[in-house]
Amino acid sequence: MPRTWHRWIPAAAAPVVVGAVVLGGVFATSASADPAEKTPQQVLELAASSTVDTFSGTIEQSSNLGLPDVSGLSGSTGSSGSDSSDSSDLSSALELLTASRTLRVYIDGPTQSRVQILDDMAERDAIRNGDDLWLYDSSDSTAVHSTLPADASTAPDASAESVTPAELATRFLDAVDPSTDVTIGDPVTVAGRSAYDLILSPDSSTTLVSSVEIAVDADTGLPLSVDVFAQGSSDAAFHVAFTSLSLDTPSADLFDFTPPAGTDVTEKALPNRDDAPADGSATPDAGTHPEPTVTGTGWDTIVELPAGTDPSSLTDSPMLSQLTTSVDGGHVLQTTLLTVLITDDGRVLAGAVPVESLQAAAGK
Amino acid sequence: MSSSDSTAAGLDARRTTRSLGAGFFASELAVLFRRRRTWAMLLALAAVPILIAVAVRLSSSGSSGRGPAFIDSITQNGLFVGIAGLTIAIPLFLPLTVGVVAGDSIAGEANTATLRYLLVSPVGRIRLLVVKYLAAAVFCLAATLTLSIAGILIGIALFPVGPATLLSGDTVSIGDSLVRSLLIALYATVSLLGLSAIGLFISTLTDAPVGAMAATVVLSIVAQVLDSLSQTEWLHPWLFSHYWLDFADLLRQPIEWSSFGQNALLQLGYVVVFGALAYGRFSSKDILS
Amino acid sequence: MTDGSVAGSSGPAHASGLAIETTALTKRFGRQTVVDDLALSVPRGSVFGFLGPNGSGKTTTIRMLLGLSQASDGEISVLGERMPQKLGSVLPRVGALIEGPGFYPFLSGSANLRRLDSADGFAPSGTRSARVSRALDRVGLGHAADKKVRAYSLGMKQRLGIANALLAPRDLIVLDEPTNGLDPQGTREVRSLIRSLADEGTSVFVSSHLLAEIEQMCTHAAVMRAGKLVAQGTLDELRSAGTTRVVVTTPDADAAAQVLRTLGLDPGHPDAPGPAVAASLPESVAPEDIVAALVAAGVRVRGFAVDHASLEDLFVALTGEGFDVVQ
Repeated sequence: MPRTWHRWIPAAAAPVVVGAVVLGGVFATSASADPAEKTPQQVLELAASSTVDTFSGTIEQSSNLGLPDVSGLSGSTGSSGSDSSDSSDLSSALELLTASRTLRVYIDGPTQSRVQILDDMAERDAIRNGDDLWLYDSSDSTAVHSTLPADASTAPDASAESVTPAELATRFLDAVDPSTDVTIGDPVTVAGRSAYDLILSPDSSTTLVSSVEIAVDADTGLPLSVDVFAQGSSDAAFHVAFTSLSLDTPSADLFDFTPPAGTDVTEKALPNRDDAPADGSATPDAGTHPEPTVTGTGWDTIVELPAGTDPSSLTDSPMLSQLTTSVDGGHVLQTTLLTVLITDDGRVLAGAVPVESLQAAAGK
Repeated sequence: MSSSDSTAAGLDARRTTRSLGAGFFASELAVLFRRRRTWAMLLALAAVPILIAVAVRLSSSGSSGRGPAFIDSITQNGLFVGIAGLTIAIPLFLPLTVGVVAGDSIAGEANTATLRYLLVSPVGRIRLLVVKYLAAAVFCLAATLTLSIAGILIGIALFPVGPATLLSGDTVSIGDSLVRSLLIALYATVSLLGLSAIGLFISTLTDAPVGAMAATVVLSIVAQVLDSLSQTEWLHPWLFSHYWLDFADLLRQPIEWSSFGQNALLQLGYVVVFGALAYGRFSSKDILS
Repeated sequence: MTDGSVAGSSGPAHASGLAIETTALTKRFGRQTVVDDLALSVPRGSVFGFLGPNGSGKTTTIRMLLGLSQASDGEISVLGERMPQKLGSVLPRVGALIEGPGFYPFLSGSANLRRLDSADGFAPSGTRSARVSRALDRVGLGHAADKKVRAYSLGMKQRLGIANALLAPRDLIVLDEPTNGLDPQGTREVRSLIRSLADEGTSVFVSSHLLAEIEQMCTHAAVMRAGKLVAQGTLDELRSAGTTRVVVTTPDADAAAQVLRTLGLDPGHPDAPGPAVAASLPESVAPEDIVAALVAAGVRVRGFAVDHASLEDLFVALTGEGFDVVQ
């Protein structure tokens, strides 16, 4: 007797249909017209000439640096009320290094911007509106307000550009020099836009970076994504990309921030330094940092911070001692992309190089 | 036919076409909402925000610094009590009640022996599945709305009400925050649609409603546990519970709709797959109860 | 009213005078064959008794007839249409009570019927309440219409089940053990209800494990044993299928037996010790000739009877005796 096997047809077809819809969506977006052929040099120029300074979008950022997942650890340290700013800096740095996160950016010209870090059940905002700079954290209802110096057209903007792929891409593109091979991969689609895939490969055997891929928007030259690959890994060690992008002007309401009732507001004066690095930290307390020294060039660059903090306070930190290993002359934090050496006398050396290079630099 | 006598001719008139089932759907809802069990579950859900509000009011120490920030913020604005209640209820209480309704859908009829009478009426097996699923979806909506509205009412009673602070730090009007509360209830409803489809499928596998209910609830817990393990990260986007708590995106300024869309798409996928499985199982199942 | 003998007929009968017809109907659960090669022929307008001990496959057959259960093999047609293919158009014309009533205990009797009526896509909603109260009145439940079924007695639930079968005009009513749980009064009412349905022209298919019930209300019957059909036809046909016996009451048993043997009968051994000799009566021998022969032989005949075998005897002969549920 032929059993009614056909009653299972829908059940067998359903996953296929669902899959087809999912993949079909992917194919449909990737089927957008390929951009005109360009040489690497033309794409570099396209990126350099990009004038997009008004847009909004969602950014996905993730790291795969081979570090253990310390999100739970840093979370508990972060919220346990330990007021050491070192500790919270450390945990936010570690969060950047280990966790993936989603951000929304709204930028209208050079002086109006808003960045939102979308946490679970919480949000951190950085808003710049003209001279006003606001940092808001919904998890503890705190806000920090600063006023930029009137002449600070190039003032450290701790918010918007520093987190977009464009900012990171610009740094890599600025660093393109004879030690870098620049090639073009197949066109890609990022945030629904077709883009050139610019591949930067270090012509150096000592760096940990194997390649950097930058998706450059075919229309506007705006870098849409950056993937940094480490030696010996096919997964991006660091990835930042738009998942959606709109070139419309964001609503002006977004930049008009008034701290809500019940918020702890701190007024903070900004350091008046012209050469302050836009280091991407959401807490601009750069004024207390000692001057770094830079050795090496190109991909082999090593940054050295002179002894400032008590080294034991760093290495005694439970989080750091979990992450670092003891080596000759200090402790080392080894990631797939970046090596950090904390010497016994308190200096900190960092670079995208093997630990041996750092030890050699420290020994000089 | 030959059997109708003259006095009964009016009563015995038959429709010439088969109705789509709106009448049966109404009957299904009437049966669902005439059960004391349904009301007990809705009352229990309404008790969640009420208990939270009363506990916070009694402790009245203000910000505790622990737990979700929502719990603290309800002392500043009563309108958030509903949202706080949903946050607490989404992982366990809501799946529990939905598991009871969806798990009971077919197995419960089999258990009371009403299934065979519905089928020879004849209700049509596919129509029965569709109506049962729609009724479960209506229950999901009733459950989340009950929770939200109970929360808003108790919040108005116990706490100050005013413009509400969003996660982004922006302040919105009372009307806007009520709209967002409803959107969040809707989000939670959509979140439960996949689980309802799973419960419907499990319900076609057995004649023991309690077993189907328990299996559905256990699955919802397993999904949430898997969602919290980093070892199963590849699986996370496919788990029906993955976006359950992302309704917080509706409390940002502007509203982040992407999680709503992803959630709806994922739930739709579950409905299609498990609806097809339920059809495959039920369309030619031997009804022996 | 009857279409004459239908026993053994197995030809195609679409649009014929059959309310139910099955050919080679078989149901297997795993390795167990519960219904085996069943060929039922239920004439339209008949009151058809479906007789068999518990576990003989009656309910399984009814489930297959109504599309609740899939046949492993064979074909079914109900009211001239193939089942389960035409289920949607056939079942609205069929009322059924299957293996006991099933209702929502938390709903009233009338609410239960309204729900089942709403499940029938051809039942108009406008006349629903009127139809429900008519069906309730017909089974004598009008006074309990608004009581929760939880509070119903077993007999009331059984009546409610029958009321459900009567919600709409039906061409066929299938009643599985309809008098279960009913008191003698209720049983009588069900019997007269079935008769009135038959008078209206509705075909009625009644299953029972009680012969007496079938004998009192049916025109036709089929007997199941261990999943197989062992007899089928009008009640008269079934009765005549049993042998006719002569019983001679006499003190001269041996002499009487001798006379019977000379006439070609086989008296065998007396059933019981006592003054009686019995033998089955072949058609070739007339009873009056036996009496004449006995008298001529000087046998002191105190009583002489020609016994038609009762259906009871037939039922026992066909299905076995005792309480053992047939395997």
